[in-house]
Amino acid sequence: MQQILVIAKQTLRESFRNKIFLIFVILSLIAICCSVFMPVVGDGSERIKIVESMCLRSITFFGILAAILLSASSIPTDIEDKLLWTITTKPVSRTNLIFGKITGFIYIIGLLLLIMGSASYALIRFTASKQDVQKGKGLMAREKFEPSNMQVTGKATKNIGDVYWIEGGERGTSTWDFEGLTYKKRTEEFEIEVKLLVESKKRYTTKIPINIKIINPYTGESQTKSIKVSNNKPASLKLSTETLEGSEKLTLVISPKNPGDFIGMSSDSLNVFLGEKSFEYNFLKGLAVIASQFILMIVIATLGSTFLTLPVNILFCLFIFFCGNITDFMRDLSTVINTFEMHDHEHEISAVVNKPNIIVFFLDYMLKKPLLALSYILPNFKNFNVGHYFVDSVNIPHKKVFASFGYAFLYALFCLPLSFVVFKRREFA
Amino acid sequence: MDNNTAIKTENLTKVYKNFWGRKKILALDKLNIDIQKGEIFGLLGPNGSGKTTTIKLLLGLIFPTEGRAYVLGKSTRDVATKSRIGFLPEESCFYRFLNADETLDFYGQLFSIPRKERKLRINRLVDQVRLEFARKRPLRQYSKGMLRRIGIAQALINDPDLIILDEPTSGLDPIGTRETKDIILALKKQGKTVLLCSHLLSDVQDICDKIVILDKGKLQIAGTIDELLSRKDVVEVLIRNLSDEAINEVKAFIKEKQGEVVSIKNPTNTLEDLFLQIVQERNSSSQNRNKIDCEFDQTGPEAMSKNNKTDQLN
Repeated sequence: MQQILVIAKQTLRESFRNKIFLIFVILSLIAICCSVFMPVVGDGSERIKIVESMCLRSITFFGILAAILLSASSIPTDIEDKLLWTITTKPVSRTNLIFGKITGFIYIIGLLLLIMGSASYALIRFTASKQDVQKGKGLMAREKFEPSNMQVTGKATKNIGDVYWIEGGERGTSTWDFEGLTYKKRTEEFEIEVKLLVESKKRYTTKIPINIKIINPYTGESQTKSIKVSNNKPASLKLSTETLEGSEKLTLVISPKNPGDFIGMSSDSLNVFLGEKSFEYNFLKGLAVIASQFILMIVIATLGSTFLTLPVNILFCLFIFFCGNITDFMRDLSTVINTFEMHDHEHEISAVVNKPNIIVFFLDYMLKKPLLALSYILPNFKNFNVGHYFVDSVNIPHKKVFASFGYAFLYALFCLPLSFVVFKRREFA
Repeated sequence: MDNNTAIKTENLTKVYKNFWGRKKILALDKLNIDIQKGEIFGLLGPNGSGKTTTIKLLLGLIFPTEGRAYVLGKSTRDVATKSRIGFLPEESCFYRFLNADETLDFYGQLFSIPRKERKLRINRLVDQVRLEFARKRPLRQYSKGMLRRIGIAQALINDPDLIILDEPTSGLDPIGTRETKDIILALKKQGKTVLLCSHLLSDVQDICDKIVILDKGKLQIAGTIDELLSRKDVVEVLIRNLSDEAINEVKAFIKEKQGEVVSIKNPTNTLEDLFLQIVQERNSSSQNRNKIDCEFDQTGPEAMSKNNKTDQLN
């Protein structure tokens, strides 16, 4: 353990003395400060959102860049400079050496995150204090409740993937159940937010009216409200918590008002916001999720550094990070390749495709399968994205923080033993 | 393997392969050596003969293609054994942003030496390798010779039983070379084993008990210095103050005994001896000058001028 800490301390000292740390601190602070100069259309709350978003992006960008450059370069540089000759000939196991290096990188990135996070928080607070915003539109972290159950009844006109379409005029309804709705103050409001896909038989219609029936399952009381929704844009409805009197459950029934209007929805199309959490605590949770992403990147870069040269390793890490952010796209792309193949087969060149076809073979084995495999093997960095929570002023659930750390931990659990095995077999010729 | 063996290799072979796994270079070919504890063992050979490869294999930096090696009775992969080994690599590879104290402290910590003990050892070693004047200077400002000195110090920080030195005197001036040789001889006196790898044959000859000569990865010759270098058919007699007449008589006597006089000449000192003599003389004269300066400082210029005036008056 002592050796791990000694190597970690040395790694930290190296980044300080070589001024790498200082450079990252300066650049990231410049980027964070620049966020206040971004042009904004809208009220003061929009500016706060822009600053929040820019700060988080800067933290992620510089943190990831620092994690890649430091972790990807340290071991290859030590090998090239033959520094490992004097370290590995001391009673330091190679496993401890890797652990020490990773601990050192975590120290560095942690410190960088602390500086960037503090600067961002100060800037967000400063921006919020300067903005003239309506009450409840400044810095907040609304608590989001996702539906526990969703049911579509009546005429479900289409069902594509996970999107259900229903038609208005009482031909179809969707029922949503919410649970665990607790609130502190009786006077509080709660908000129902819908984000639906909208289609209409009427031409030039961009907004359609929908009915929302709010049912208190405990008292059995209900009320119906009507709002207009646009395609894929959030619309909200605010109600008093008195509606929830005596119950922690809520049932919402939604349907388009008019026949010929269609709404498409998936399980996350409807949410209820009730109560607020501390912005500071939410910001800390956001930083924690981002930190777990950095740890994952450090572990991956360290794995690469055990067998790759410095430039190759940096490219390798950038590739992983880039592809890790587009794993969903990769999966979609592989599905598109599949559709194309089916289409050819069924309609256009069926006779030819019945026999082995080089194009289909190429697409299947050289593109689709590797893409699909990569999308599952690579870490999904989108899991660590917290920007939307701040843009939507939504509280980050604890399970999101734990899930991020859990994901990073599991991935590290796979990468670390691999690093040890590869590094133990590595020769320092 | 008996308890007195410090290093033993059995058919130690190393083949460097290329990226595709094809045989590229046979760096070491079935090397068998046996180094006893307390010996100074010289590993000699031209460039590319396999000396550094042997050292790397013994230290577990690379792994043998065939054969086995034991260091202090354990496999070369044994991490715990490394706490009894000191190693000076051919190139001085240290963190250049650290100073001498920090460097030695870092390596000392890797050996888990307690802080107090570490401090004592660092002071002693810095003094021993004569780097007191530069101990707070970052290593990037060190000359090659100074880096070798700090390298020697780090190799001795753990008070090792076995010291492996790869070209310890390269880059050192003759004084540094002599001091390093003295350190090595002192280590031998303490019962340590030293494996020395050097191109400077005179250094090896001066201090080694046994040597092996490698060429193209193969062991060419092995043995003690005396065994390998002594010429059994030639006798050397050094005589002081002998007249020409007496020399002729000795020649005649040797002829009578059917011996052959190969050469009669006045022996010369080595260049190293001459260099050290000059530097020592200069050092002692500068010390004397310092002494005079000190006296001047103590008495002060006024007192000195007073004395001069008194002398003039007298």
